[in-house]
Amino acid sequence: MRFVVILALACLLIAAIFAADGHAERRLLRADPDLLPADALLLRFAVGRGRPLFMARCAACHGPAGLGDPARGVPDLADDDWLYGTGRVSEIEKVVDYGIRSRNPKALNFVIMPAYARPQPNPADKNISSLSPGEIDDLIEFLLQRQRRQADATAAARGASLFAGHAGCYDCHSIDAEGDSAIGAPNLVDATTLYGDGGREALHMSIAYGRQGACPAWIRRINAAGIRELALYVYSISHPGAIPNAH
Amino acid sequence: MFIPSHTPVRFQMPIDKNPEHSSRPQPGSWRDLSHISNARSFVLMSAGVLTGLILAGYSLFTARSTSTLIVPAEDVALVNQQPLSRADFLALLQTLYGVDLSHASPEQRHKVLDDMIREELFVQRGKELDVASTDPDVRSALVNAVELEIAQNAITAQPSEAALRQFYQTHQDRYVSEGVMRVRDLVFPASALSELPAEPGALKSAIADPQTLARLDGRDSGKTRGEEFYFAAKIHLGDALFAAARDLSNGMSSRPIQLADGIHVLDMQENKRPIPFGFAAARSQVLSDYRNRAIDQLKSSGESFLRKRANVLVADDLR
Repeated sequence: MRFVVILALACLLIAAIFAADGHAERRLLRADPDLLPADALLLRFAVGRGRPLFMARCAACHGPAGLGDPARGVPDLADDDWLYGTGRVSEIEKVVDYGIRSRNPKALNFVIMPAYARPQPNPADKNISSLSPGEIDDLIEFLLQRQRRQADATAAARGASLFAGHAGCYDCHSIDAEGDSAIGAPNLVDATTLYGDGGREALHMSIAYGRQGACPAWIRRINAAGIRELALYVYSISHPGAIPNAH
Repeated sequence: MFIPSHTPVRFQMPIDKNPEHSSRPQPGSWRDLSHISNARSFVLMSAGVLTGLILAGYSLFTARSTSTLIVPAEDVALVNQQPLSRADFLALLQTLYGVDLSHASPEQRHKVLDDMIREELFVQRGKELDVASTDPDVRSALVNAVELEIAQNAITAQPSEAALRQFYQTHQDRYVSEGVMRVRDLVFPASALSELPAEPGALKSAIADPQTLARLDGRDSGKTRGEEFYFAAKIHLGDALFAAARDLSNGMSSRPIQLADGIHVLDMQENKRPIPFGFAAARSQVLSDYRNRAIDQLKSSGESFLRKRANVLVADDLR
């Protein structure tokens, strides 16, 4: 008799745990994603479930701590510099959902960095024409000067007119070279570099041979709750104070 | 008032002593449950079969999918049981009004939801009408969507570094820098051919001397513009001159090359030949190419599968 009572209590306990989890998951899904960080309990619940997903799906590129890899152009998710958007949960969730250049019709796929040392720098845009080796060097000097590094001033001046002129760099990176996070065009004058150390060689590789990093779309692979948990986990690693002692 | 508590009542029950007239079934008849009856078994089986057939027929012709009255938390509505995703709802709110859920007015929410419901209804009606059979845009969108679905595994899979290195080694010729050259193209009239030195060293000296150039009426063709990538030099010089220029080392000059517009001599000032990229430098391109190949393979096998299971009849005249 006692055994039956214990078994029944255990079953009830398990059912209660599942019910509580289900309730929290429903709250998580129905809430405005950008308001979720204010709900410490829900955030803790989501982050706890998002971490294993991150390790399984994202850590292979971004690393277990989400620090990225500049050698491979994988962005650091733990800093406060966002290539797309401003780091809001809804923006992170959109990237997780649809990816970047993932071939998903809703992917963030606005631009690529053209390969200016190739006959057709951007196959999708015939208006972009190649640059000469000297013009690429001038652009590099201009960018180094804007980053307050050592640069050839005469070449930098030529590079400045190229940047704002027929090279067309301003079109994505904006006229002040500070980028445009709405389309994923990086800031070229801040201290954060996506590829390599931001030196001459890395800049040459980017300008001459182009960049088009990609992030897969997970919408068909992870359920809606998982996607939100993953987004909140990424939010939590870039906002270390969001959950005290979370990591 | 007196109520008798025990009123004896006697009923006269007729008892038929004759078993011939009793309602008890005759031993051995189909109503006698204590014995097996073939007739009874057959009747019951027939009734069962008939009931089953009626139920199956009714279900078959009135079948509907199971329905629910609860909208899942990840959706904003169910239209004929087809879910409308909350993620799409939020994205539309942002696109149409530039607001998130908490800042959207009830009117904005209703408008977006209503638009989504309308779209879903039309999509469902489109399926019923089989618009894909006539509309090329719908057909194209369906082909793209199915190809994407087939390619999902390759898109989301992260290949191992060993697999990428092997791919890089197999296709190393793809991962090279663009060559750069600075070359002068001198052109002479056809009559100067006999006067141009045949020996490369002497020819180099001759074209370096402005007086000799003037005497032979030689001039820079102006086709090249300083330092150029190979592809640009090829466009400017043309195939024949570029083929000769590509093999020249720094400081060398070509033999005289006769073309329709005169005799050309190429003076190579600097030739930086294409350099293979190391794996680290080429990795992002290798990953992209590796994925593209995997996607192509998946698409191809998906198409084979579809062809294998399809029943395709081709008209006699096209067989």
